[in-house]
Amino acid sequence: MERRAVFKSRWLPYALIAPQVLLVFTFFYWPTGAALVWAFTLEQPWGGGSAFVGFDNFAAVFGDPLYWASVGRSVFFAASATTLAMGVALLLALFTDRQLSGYRAYRFVTIWPYAVAAPAAGLAFRFIFASEAGILAFLNQISPGLWNPSMNGNQAMLTIVVCYSWKYVSYNFIFLLAGLQAIPRALVEAGAMDGAGVLRRMRDIQLPLLQPTFFFLLVINLTESFVDSFGIVDIMTGGGPAKATNLMVYKIYFDGFKGLDYSGAAAQSIVLMVLVMALTFVQFRFIERRVHYR
Amino acid sequence: MLYRERMGRAARIALLAACGLVGTVAADAQTRTKFDLWQGLSGDLGERVNDVCKRFNESQTEFEIVCTSQGSYDAAVQNAIAAYRAKKQPTIVQVFDAGTLDLMLSGAFVPARQLMEENGYKVDWANYFPGISNYYATSKGVLLSFPFNSSTAMFYWNKDAFAKIGETAAPKTWEDVEVAAKKMKAAGMECPLAIDFDTWQWMEQFHAIHNLPIATRDNGYSGLDAELTINKTKFVDFVKYLKRAHVEGWAKIKTRATGATLGEAFASGDCQMTQFSIAGHGTIVKTSKPGMNWDVAMMPVYAGTERHNSLVGGASLWVLQGKSKDEYRGAAAFLAFIAKPESEEYWSTVTGYIPVTKTGFAAMQAKGFYDKPTYKGRELAIQSLTASEVGPLTRGVRLGGFLQIRKEVTDALEAIFSDKMTVEQGLAQAVERSNATLRRFEKTYAGKTLP
Amino acid sequence: MIERTPILNAVTHVILLSGVVLAVLPLWLVFVASTLTLAEVNAVPMPMLPGGAFWDNVAEAWSRARLETKLLNSLTMAIGVTIGKVVLAALTAFAIVFFQFRVRMIVFWGIFVTLMLPLEVRIVPTYAVAANVLSPYQTLLNAVRIGELWHWITGTELALEWNLLNSYTGLVLPLVATATGTFLYRQFFMTIPEELVESAKMDGAGPLRFMWDMLLPLSKTNMAALATIMFIYAWNQYLWPLLVTTDPSYETAVTALQRLTPMSASTGGGTPDWNVAMAAALLVMLPPLLLVIFMQRWFVRGLIAQDK
Repeated sequence: MERRAVFKSRWLPYALIAPQVLLVFTFFYWPTGAALVWAFTLEQPWGGGSAFVGFDNFAAVFGDPLYWASVGRSVFFAASATTLAMGVALLLALFTDRQLSGYRAYRFVTIWPYAVAAPAAGLAFRFIFASEAGILAFLNQISPGLWNPSMNGNQAMLTIVVCYSWKYVSYNFIFLLAGLQAIPRALVEAGAMDGAGVLRRMRDIQLPLLQPTFFFLLVINLTESFVDSFGIVDIMTGGGPAKATNLMVYKIYFDGFKGLDYSGAAAQSIVLMVLVMALTFVQFRFIERRVHYR
Repeated sequence: MLYRERMGRAARIALLAACGLVGTVAADAQTRTKFDLWQGLSGDLGERVNDVCKRFNESQTEFEIVCTSQGSYDAAVQNAIAAYRAKKQPTIVQVFDAGTLDLMLSGAFVPARQLMEENGYKVDWANYFPGISNYYATSKGVLLSFPFNSSTAMFYWNKDAFAKIGETAAPKTWEDVEVAAKKMKAAGMECPLAIDFDTWQWMEQFHAIHNLPIATRDNGYSGLDAELTINKTKFVDFVKYLKRAHVEGWAKIKTRATGATLGEAFASGDCQMTQFSIAGHGTIVKTSKPGMNWDVAMMPVYAGTERHNSLVGGASLWVLQGKSKDEYRGAAAFLAFIAKPESEEYWSTVTGYIPVTKTGFAAMQAKGFYDKPTYKGRELAIQSLTASEVGPLTRGVRLGGFLQIRKEVTDALEAIFSDKMTVEQGLAQAVERSNATLRRFEKTYAGKTLP
Repeated sequence: MIERTPILNAVTHVILLSGVVLAVLPLWLVFVASTLTLAEVNAVPMPMLPGGAFWDNVAEAWSRARLETKLLNSLTMAIGVTIGKVVLAALTAFAIVFFQFRVRMIVFWGIFVTLMLPLEVRIVPTYAVAANVLSPYQTLLNAVRIGELWHWITGTELALEWNLLNSYTGLVLPLVATATGTFLYRQFFMTIPEELVESAKMDGAGPLRFMWDMLLPLSKTNMAALATIMFIYAWNQYLWPLLVTTDPSYETAVTALQRLTPMSASTGGGTPDWNVAMAAALLVMLPPLLLVIFMQRWFVRGLIAQDK
């Protein structure tokens, strides 16, 4: 954080952060701490007892020959989902911001996907992607077997990337739009006076000024695509076919929430958290340097 | 001006909202003993469970059961665990088959027999079909929870399609299925046999009716040190059979990802044979193509095999520790209520589930329940569950981390059918990974013995 | 600003329209499903054009889910979470960006980490906290022997208890404890030119006055975006409301929707009445959409008066 702090007070900053810090401690750190302790034990789900096992759970995670494949898949998923969701959102936001006629309608409709509850979205995408009865089924009429995510792992991965991004496009869109609107119109107008065309102004004025928002979304998108993607996997593929969409977080969800292996899930959670934190750190260290806050 | 108007409207809405809240709080006067049941069913089935609760509440004035759907089986178990550990648990919780073992080893429940005896109910425990009760009983056959929504897998066949190839009876063996399927294929039918990768109907039931071990130690009933054996049984041949059927084109994979599940593919008339739960019977009645003639039969076996009883599926009701005497009295009353023949009949009428007691089944038969066209064929589910004396391999499956194991097998089947692995490789990998899960489970419960 | 760019305008419309199509296509299917009868919705493939059973399904969904009180509960929860987030996150970010104090980096990162572990993994201990919010503090006090001290002085047991189960507070508070808002404000506050702060100080404004008079008005669009997202986020929460509310009078609309959603058929299905579930999904989606319309008026240009 490069900003020079400008106000000085002995107590005020602490008073300002106190409410959120209290909430975060009570509802996140305390329970999370309790859950992560399980990573070093074998915990009986109904609370009948637990035995301390040191790093055995981690040894089990890393000793699984298929674990690294799931790490690779998670990284691939996060990278492609983030790129897709942010790229599309940026395009839509920049063009909506031109405020041509009808932009209010565009803006309204583009926010919708975020408001759709999970079961409804799941059903809709099932009809779109189903290989025999869906909208994409026509591909199989062109060439039988061309589209079959129930057997083809890459296609299954594609479906979850698209479904996941669909929702996050609107998430990103709304923040990017807000970021664009916070850019002083005078700056853009000055650009126009100098003879810069629309696209040129986007590139030279709006995009650079959008960097802080963009960085915010990049970090959030990457983090969430690692951590928040189990729901869509569960609805769409269940981690299949043959583990092709078995993301790290889905395995955590499956082992811990469904399979009641609390200790295994806790150990995997720690691994995932370390990975995401490292990634976040890299982003702050190397990418934020290039962000111009003013 | 506009601003003030808007504020006025907001204030009115807030006021209305506040009144609504006060209203709901004040209406909560009570005199009956209340107790909770958390269930794991949703949709239409969740509603039907609530209907059962309503019937109980209307049948007497002493207790009031509050039934809350947790949306899914896993959420019901997970939330009950969270609540139990915080000492806010419901009195009764519905637990699905794969969650049974964790609860059995937990000591967090009141055994069924004890609850009923302490509250003065005389229950004839032998009245429960052994094929159902043994799934939820100790290895000595003492029932620990109350069988509730129970089903078994059946073979669904399209009579019209069979008529076209000159057959009138359902196939009894997998050899018959192959003959029929090939004829259908030759007659231009796209999908003679529909399959998926759900282990319950394809792996677990297959082992039971052929009296083959899924795992050592009597499918896990005799100890936590059991190991999976599915790559050493005739199941290997069966997977090869299905794989060949798929390659030769007389079996088609029908899952959510392809656009239609087994039931949907069968109801639409697209697929002519398949097997899945009897609980789906009512759905097929309601959604099958108008005029389609179809029926259910017992699952086929390999020729020359003596048929054994199939396994129960579904969930049972567990009574949790740490509640008051009155709540236990209420729970006992409710559990006695749902075991009454008329309750069982009601439950089987509004859902596809089967009665769990002999008297319930007999009463329904006597009343001609199974003669009605809508329910005809469902009695075969009982016939399938009672096809033989229940033996050590057909009581059920008692394996720790069973959900993970099911998933490993499903993953292996997917790999096999998409030609990533041979049948032997795939099953060997599933067994190896499942055994790791079993060892982990055994270590977690080190020092505990199975009841 | 008057510019003639007919080709680019056409391209703009094409891009935005394809965005709209992509956004609407899945929703169209949801809508179509909600207009079909049970047999139609289960046909393979499902029809792509609406049928005539929409009002029947809506009526059925409404009566089955008993949505009236649930929508109100959802509204209370979502508004609570939105206000909580928008306010608390602003305060925290303000302290982090504009003050120099010892733990500010720790606080920022500490809050950030909350994004990294989903509730599903920490359900059991989180529930324990909701059952007694003061249990962590009790444990801490006991750890430093204050409990014993208390017992020695007063002769009573020190037992702190505050149960949040079945209450609006319980629905709202845990959902407020996350990082998104703080991070967003921080990003925006960092773009405030230092000269602006300096000149405010010159005019004798203290930090709170500066925040109220300068910073918050400037943050209007970002706040609107955050509020919109947080409202919808809270509205669509499912697992947490399910867990903390067992008393039906506190149930939320999305919880009711999940309960209407047919089970997967692995061990026996029940009627797959997706038509009713989708009608309910549309009903449940309406309030967030109304909010989006309502919030749109805050999506306006900052700083310089806009031209028409």
